[in-house]
Amino acid sequence: MWLLIFSFLLPGWTVADEEASRYLDAIEKKYSGLKDYTADVRVHFDIDTFKAPDMEARLYFKAPDRTKIESKKVFFFPKEGGYFNPGLFKKEDFEIRLLEPTKDGRTEVRLKMVPKRKEMMGREFVLGIDRDANLVKKMDISQVGGREVKAEIEYDRVGPFELPKHIILTLDLPSMESNETRGVDPFEQKPTRVTGKIDITYSNYKVNTGLKDDLFKQK
Amino acid sequence: MKLFWFETYKTFSRWRTYISFSAIAIVVIVSEIVMKLSANEILYRMLKIFQKDFMIAGNVLNGWFVTAFIMNTFHIHIPFLITLVAGDMVSGEATSGTVRLLLIRPPSRSRILTAKYLTALLYTAGLGLFFGVVCIALGLSLFGTGDLVVHHYGKFSIALIPESEIPVRMALAFAAAIWSMTVVASLSFLFSTLAENSVGPIIGTMAVVIVFLVFGNLPLDFFRKFSPYLFTTHMNLWQRFLDVPIPWGTIARSAIFLGLHNMGLFLTALILYRRKDIKS
Repeated sequence: MWLLIFSFLLPGWTVADEEASRYLDAIEKKYSGLKDYTADVRVHFDIDTFKAPDMEARLYFKAPDRTKIESKKVFFFPKEGGYFNPGLFKKEDFEIRLLEPTKDGRTEVRLKMVPKRKEMMGREFVLGIDRDANLVKKMDISQVGGREVKAEIEYDRVGPFELPKHIILTLDLPSMESNETRGVDPFEQKPTRVTGKIDITYSNYKVNTGLKDDLFKQK
Repeated sequence: MKLFWFETYKTFSRWRTYISFSAIAIVVIVSEIVMKLSANEILYRMLKIFQKDFMIAGNVLNGWFVTAFIMNTFHIHIPFLITLVAGDMVSGEATSGTVRLLLIRPPSRSRILTAKYLTALLYTAGLGLFFGVVCIALGLSLFGTGDLVVHHYGKFSIALIPESEIPVRMALAFAAAIWSMTVVASLSFLFSTLAENSVGPIIGTMAVVIVFLVFGNLPLDFFRKFSPYLFTTHMNLWQRFLDVPIPWGTIARSAIFLGLHNMGLFLTALILYRRKDIKS
């Protein structure tokens, strides 16, 4: 009986997964020509426990996954959702599921992506993809330890590519490290959560300038 | 004024006055060299909670950070070093048998005591300044400069002070640290007027500081209620100058609270010393 039910449902899932993969293929194809980029980044923090003036730096990216931040001043740059890497979501690296459409269902599809690779484990992604423009417009990242990051991405055309001009990250993180919560205070309150937004603005893009590998070597 | 300079000369011509300066120099030099050698470990521990979520660039472990880091030990060793001299200011005269000779001279007891008290404050300020100069000069030469990241260990909490604001804030922080240490000097000075040797004032002052620090930090509601009334609670006044934004109201309240302590302790010392029988 169960086998019968499975045999009816299985083809539907497979079709859904294939459809989901097609969206990722389209994005990968769209950015296949992007070898590297350089951009000026300005980060504005709106987090109660993170009191810092706006920070500026230069970001270097080289496909498939190398990044470097250059700043004379102290600079904090969000790892998750903070920068654009078109090669991050390769269909072979994830188990992909097509989610129910939202109210933007006509133009947006939502994919739930669970990494297969060991180094990416402990994270789950939900991507909101503009199906007309083949762009990741929204990204929700859930990590172990209750870390949640949501990204909303606006794009601008830079030569042949559409690259982020503005990313808004919404954070919801634990305020303490799990092993730091055990203090000597027997009446210590339960750790609260840190919430807030980070605005990242990109400008002065330079694309495919042939960045050397040496640039990304750690000094 | 003449009495003050005379007392200052007397104090700074004793070799033991310089024990404190030497101790501070050793603490700072050794700490900074060890920090330089274990820079990676410090950075890892300090930024562990942020490294999960952020890429971090720039010179975080700079001279200003190292100075603020070492300043956190201020309330541990500096009070002891202050009592070494302030606790000996008056009782030392009794120990060396010069108290009668001093008090039969024309200047009044009040003037003599005031001169000695001002000398104790000058010594405290000198020690604080020396600590600041050594910390900053060595810190900047070993670690370079940069923005100051003030964080609470293990918590997702940070205040970043731009490099351009740091010198003024640090100067104010050291002034506040010196101001808080003058209470320790005043307390030690009061005990010194009551004792015939300097061991009692030194141990007595340290006992009060330690007991108050323990009570102020015990996580029990009973002690928490009393904590704002203990001068040791206000001794971290300097840290407020590294907050963003600077809480001027809190700073003013703490500074006045410490000032009133100074005044009260000195006046008590003055009243008791004026009535003190030195003939027996």
